[in-house]
Amino acid sequence: MLSRTIATARTLPRSINLISKRTYVEAVENALKLQFSLPHETLYSGVKVNQVNLPAQSGKMGILANHVPTIEQLSPGVVEILEENSNTAKKYFISGGFATVQPNSVLSITAAEAFPLESFSPEHIRTLLTEAKGKLADSDAVVAAEAAITVEVLEQLEAATK
Amino acid sequence: MLARSVLSQSARCAASQARGYATLKEVELRLKSIKNIEKITKTMKIVASTRLSKAQKAKAAAKMIDVADATFYDVAKTKDVPEPLENPKHLTIAITSDKGLCGSIHSQLAKAVKRNLESHPDTDVVAIGDKIKMQLLRSYPDNIKLAFNGIGKDAPTFYESSLITAKILQELNAKQYSKITIFFNDPISSLSFVPSTKPIYNSETIQTSPGYNIFEIDPEGKLPTDLFEYSLTSQVLSAMAQGYAAEISARRTAMDNASKNAGDMINRYSILYNRTRQAVITNELVDIITGASSLD
Repeated sequence: MLSRTIATARTLPRSINLISKRTYVEAVENALKLQFSLPHETLYSGVKVNQVNLPAQSGKMGILANHVPTIEQLSPGVVEILEENSNTAKKYFISGGFATVQPNSVLSITAAEAFPLESFSPEHIRTLLTEAKGKLADSDAVVAAEAAITVEVLEQLEAATK
Repeated sequence: MLARSVLSQSARCAASQARGYATLKEVELRLKSIKNIEKITKTMKIVASTRLSKAQKAKAAAKMIDVADATFYDVAKTKDVPEPLENPKHLTIAITSDKGLCGSIHSQLAKAVKRNLESHPDTDVVAIGDKIKMQLLRSYPDNIKLAFNGIGKDAPTFYESSLITAKILQELNAKQYSKITIFFNDPISSLSFVPSTKPIYNSETIQTSPGYNIFEIDPEGKLPTDLFEYSLTSQVLSAMAQGYAAEISARRTAMDNASKNAGDMINRYSILYNRTRQAVITNELVDIITGASSLD
């Protein structure tokens, strides 16, 4: 009996502390901060955004503020960024990479390449795709593997630009 | 008697000329070659200055990738993972370039690597760039396991670094190393640099990090392995980009100093050249006047 009261007494201040901390955090940063960097360029650096949709390998996912910390490997696909004070989503096609959600609502995306979706030409994708498909059955294993990767990326790209 | 004294005097004069003063022709040749050197160093300085802004942009972009990786390792407390006790294997990736003429930048990095090799003699080394390879081959030829060249002609790209890391992963089985360290030159300002190191953690270390459970990660996937390979590639790239920026700014400073020194030498030699020419003219005049007066 006595020990239990001591235990509750001990947990009480801690939970108060936790609550106060959480409200403080929420009051200060209720937005998701996006850090989107390529090896040769930084696209977003600590910009506050509403939501980011990612092409994770485990399936497509949307990230909002206060997401559980996680690391996701990204497949080739479209990253959608819903910026603050803007109704349309910005779309980037990435070639794959990693996304890390840090405990303080910071989302870091690193990708090898990323381009705005508008900058791709559908006709060019189609010609490249037929070319790559022709190489799929190549006798050279390296060429065939490269073609398989190219086809995977281009099929995603084709679906995204439609 | 007179003839003898004149002869000995002229002999002394010729000897002193050979000892103290160069002939006019020699001074002229020297002056010309220094002027050419100054032209070359000035051009190299201009080339380095124009490349500097591009190199610094590449450095800034590549550094942002580092930040994302570093925060993950910070939160996961990967640094606190103890090293396995039985034969821990270390790998050092030392990054320089092929080109010299940029001050002490490459030898300082080589010194840092050598200091590390002194305390851990069985460390394997991957030498990126010919400069570090040459310096390490002298004292630690057996430690170099892989060497790459053709680095540093332009700002490094992701393609380059992925080729390098693919080779490292394939040839050296990078997972066997409990500790991987990259040695590179960190440009702390546009004028100075410092040889620095950064660690890379292999997949096993990432998985055993004390803070790994903070993150929600699919236990079935091969994320730690992929993350290790990806972060190795991006860390090598960012180290290369920083090393490149440091090298370019060091080259600019070195070439600036060389041009200044050449300018000083040109000043000194032009004065000497003019004096010598004047002396030659005076000598000839003296000869003519003496000849003319002896005819009277």
